[in-house]
Amino acid sequence: VLVRTRLDAFSLPSLARGCAVLAAGGGDTELGLLMALRAVQRNGPVELIDAAALPDRALVMPCALVGAPTVAGERLFSGDEGLVLRAMTERLHGGRVAALMCLEVGGVNGLLPVVWAARMGLPLLDADGAGRSFPQLEQHAMHLAAIAASPVVLTDGRDNTIVVCADDDAAAERLVRRTAAVLGGVCAAALYCLRAEEVLAATVSGSVSHALALGQAATAQPSGVAAALGATVLLVGHVIAVERVSDGGFASGSATIRGFGREDARQVRVEMQNEYLVAFEDGAVRASVPDVIALLSSETGVPIATEELRYGHRVTIIAIRGAALWSTEAGSALTGPAAFGYAVAREPAAERDAHVAS
Amino acid sequence: MSRAELRVGLDVGATHTDGVVVDARDQVLAHAKLPTTPDLRTTLEATGRDLIAQGIDPERVSRVMLSTNDVTDGALRRREVKRVAAIRIGGVVTQALPPLTTWPAGLRRAVDGGTVVVRGGAEYDGTVSAPLDRDAIARFLTSVADRAEAVALTAVFAPVAHDQELEAAELAREVLGPATRVSMSHELGSLGLLERENATILNAALAGAAEQLARVLFAALATSGIAAEPFFTQNDGTLMSLEHAIRFPMLMLGSGASSAIRGAAWLSGLDEGLVVDAGGRAIRIGALVNGAPRESTARALMAGVRVDFQLPELRRLPFGGDSLLTIRNGLVSIEPEIGPGLVFGGARPTLTDAVVAAGRSVPGARPLVSAMGDRLPSVLAQVTDLLADGVDRLKAQQGALPLVVVGGAGALVPDTLEGVAEILRPSEGGLAGAIGAAIAPVSGRADRICANRPDERRRALEETRDDAFARAVHAGADPATLELVEVEEIPLTYLLDPAVRIRVKAAGPRG
Repeated sequence: VLVRTRLDAFSLPSLARGCAVLAAGGGDTELGLLMALRAVQRNGPVELIDAAALPDRALVMPCALVGAPTVAGERLFSGDEGLVLRAMTERLHGGRVAALMCLEVGGVNGLLPVVWAARMGLPLLDADGAGRSFPQLEQHAMHLAAIAASPVVLTDGRDNTIVVCADDDAAAERLVRRTAAVLGGVCAAALYCLRAEEVLAATVSGSVSHALALGQAATAQPSGVAAALGATVLLVGHVIAVERVSDGGFASGSATIRGFGREDARQVRVEMQNEYLVAFEDGAVRASVPDVIALLSSETGVPIATEELRYGHRVTIIAIRGAALWSTEAGSALTGPAAFGYAVAREPAAERDAHVAS
Repeated sequence: MSRAELRVGLDVGATHTDGVVVDARDQVLAHAKLPTTPDLRTTLEATGRDLIAQGIDPERVSRVMLSTNDVTDGALRRREVKRVAAIRIGGVVTQALPPLTTWPAGLRRAVDGGTVVVRGGAEYDGTVSAPLDRDAIARFLTSVADRAEAVALTAVFAPVAHDQELEAAELAREVLGPATRVSMSHELGSLGLLERENATILNAALAGAAEQLARVLFAALATSGIAAEPFFTQNDGTLMSLEHAIRFPMLMLGSGASSAIRGAAWLSGLDEGLVVDAGGRAIRIGALVNGAPRESTARALMAGVRVDFQLPELRRLPFGGDSLLTIRNGLVSIEPEIGPGLVFGGARPTLTDAVVAAGRSVPGARPLVSAMGDRLPSVLAQVTDLLADGVDRLKAQQGALPLVVVGGAGALVPDTLEGVAEILRPSEGGLAGAIGAAIAPVSGRADRICANRPDERRRALEETRDDAFARAVHAGADPATLELVEVEEIPLTYLLDPAVRIRVKAAGPRG
C-alpha cells in the first residue's frame, strides 16, 4: 500500500524546523514557512511523491532562491515565480514539467518549492540535490552525476526572466550570482532539470521526508533528540565565546561551547562561515562538512543560525551524517573541509539507520 | 539655576504607579508609590498630590516623563484600536504574503479597514522599481473611506528610498481629508517588510490611544497645578516628545522594563552589569551596556504580531515575592497564583514569607509566627538556582559581573550568587521605573544599505548618522549634546556585490 505524504498546515511547521536544522546554521525558515502555509491554505496541500511514481521521461524541475535572504525579507515573493520558471523551462526542454524538486532541502529553499508547487497544483519530489544546504551552485548531487546546471532560468517575481546558458557549472555559478544582483539581489531559479529516470542516481532520495522527521524530533527535549534524529550529540553545554570576522560579506568566525555538569571540562569549538562547518575538541576534528553540524537551543529545540549565536545560549551540538554520495572521492572533494578552506581530515558522523519514509 | 528646573518621572505599572521628583542634578526630592486604579486620570492625580504634599512647588516642574506601556499594550488587548487602511507599495512581487495575513484573527478583524497591494517600491540600492500607482491608491481609499479611520503605508525598501511613501501620504490626505492620520513605514522600522509593515499598521491602529493618553495626562497635570512639557518612554527606554508620541504611539509598546533597567543603572552608578527587577508577580533579569538596556536580537512579538522592535533582552522568571507556596509531603512548591503573604496579614504563605523565615530582612513585614516557618526556606535553594541560571544567560561573556537588585521583592535575591561579583541594592530600588523615566535620554535611529566599498560606506554612514540625529532632535533631544551611541555594520550574505547594512542610534539629553 502506497501511503502518500501531504505537505499541509499540520506538517509544514515540522518541515520548516527540519529544513532549519539542515541549513547547518545558514539561515532561518520563518518567512518560508509563512508563505508555504498561506500557499497551501489557498491552493490545497502539496503531494510528496517518489520518482518511481512518474513516467521515466517526465521532466523534474529543481528550484530555489538565489541571492541574499536579507533582500528576500524586504521584497518577499509573489508566489507565482514557479509559473514563470515552469513556462520557460518547458520552452527550453520541451514537454511538461511533471514535478518540482527542492534544489536543496536546507533553509528557506526547502519551503519555497512548496509555495510554487501549491500554486501550480504540482507534486513535490521526495528528493533534493544535497540533503542539506551548501553555499555553492556546484555542490549538488546532479553536478556529480554530470547533469548540467544550465540552462538556469532566473526570474525576479515580476516578468523579468533571464536564462543563463553556461559553459560549465563553475561558469554558471559566476554568471548566476551576477544575474541575481541584476535582478534585484534575490530571485527564483530553476536549474539542473532532469528526467524522472535520472532522479534515483542523480539526487539525494528521501530528503524531504528526512527533513520532516528531523523537524518532528527537534521539537522534543534535546536529550531525546539524538536518538530520534539519528544524530550524534557532540556536546550539551553553553556558548562561552563567539568570535566573528567580517570578510568580504561572509559572516565568518568561531564559537566555543563548554559542557554542562560532569562534562564541564569539555570544550568544543565550532568554525563557521555563514554555516557551521567544522567542530574541534582538544585540537581534533569531531565533525565536519559534508555532515550537518547544527546547534539546537536546549530550551526549545529550535536550531540557532550562525548570525544569532551569542554568549550564554544553551545548546545541544549535533552532527548528522551527510548523504552517502558526499563520502565518495568526488563528493568529498566538492563538499569536504578542504572545499571550505580547512586543511583537516573529515571525521564522519555515525551512520544513521536507513530512513523509512512514512 | 532657573526657577523651573524640576522633573517628574512617572511609571504606571499593572499593579503600582510610582512617581519621583528630581532636580537639575538628578537628585530625588520626593517619591510616591500608589496602587494603579482602572482610571488612569485618578491614578495620576493621586500620585501628583502625594508628590506635591512632600513640599514640591508644582510651578517649578518643567518636564514630566511618563512610562506607561500599559496604556498602549492595554488598548491592543481590549481591541480599542482604529480601523486601518493598509496600503503596501511593492506590486505583485510581494503577493505571497499580503498585509495582515500573518496576524492573529481577533486583532486582525478589529484593525482591518481594507488592504491593498499596489505597484511601486524600490530596489535595495534605492533605484525606483516602478512608479507609484496613484490611481490604484485613490480607488482603494475611496472604496474604504466609510470605514477606515487611519492609513498605514509601507513601500518596499522604504528605509532606503521613501519618496513614494511621502507621495502616497499626500494622496491619502487629498482623498480622505487633510486631518487623516497616516503612518509611514520608513519612520517606524528597518529592513524586513513584514515586521516593518506590521509595526506601521499597529502604529496607525493606536492613534486614538495616544491622543487619549495625552488628554488624560494634561487633565491630571492641570489638576495638580503642573504646567510642564510631557515626554513619553519608548520601548528602548529612551524618551520622546508629546508630538512624537502622538505620531508614533507604537513606540510606547513594551516600554516598562527598559525604564526599570535604566533606573537601576542610575541608582547604582553601574554602566556594565546585570539587573534583577523583582516584583510581586514576576522577576525580570536584564543586562546593562553603557548604562542602557542591552537589546534583544530575538524577533519580537507584540500581541501575536511580528515586529522588529528594539526591546530589551529580558529573562522572566514566572514568580515573585507574592507567589503563593504550598507544602505537600514536606515539599514546598511555588504556585502560579499570588497573594499578600502571612507577614503582610494574608492567609497563605508566599515566597516573601520564606525569605523572612530564612532571616532576610523585608521592609514592612511583620514577624512570621507560623509552624510552617521551619519548612518554607527550603524552597529558596530552587529560587537561587533559577536566579543564578537566569543571570548567567544574560551575560555577554564569561566572568563575574556586578548585579543591581531593584523592585519590591529584592529580598528574594540572596547576598551571594554564582557568577556574580557583587550585589548592589540601591535604597530607592523600588522606584527604579519612575527614576529611569526621569533620567532617560532622547533618541533617534536610522538604517540603510550601501555597497561595501570604503567611499560608499563613509558617505552612507554620514547620511545615516544625519538621519538619526534629525530624528532624535525631532523627538525632543538637544542637538548640541547628541552623540552616536550605537553603530552597527552588518554584511549582507550571499550577494555578489558585497553590500553592508548600517544601523545607527543617536541619543542625548532633552533639549
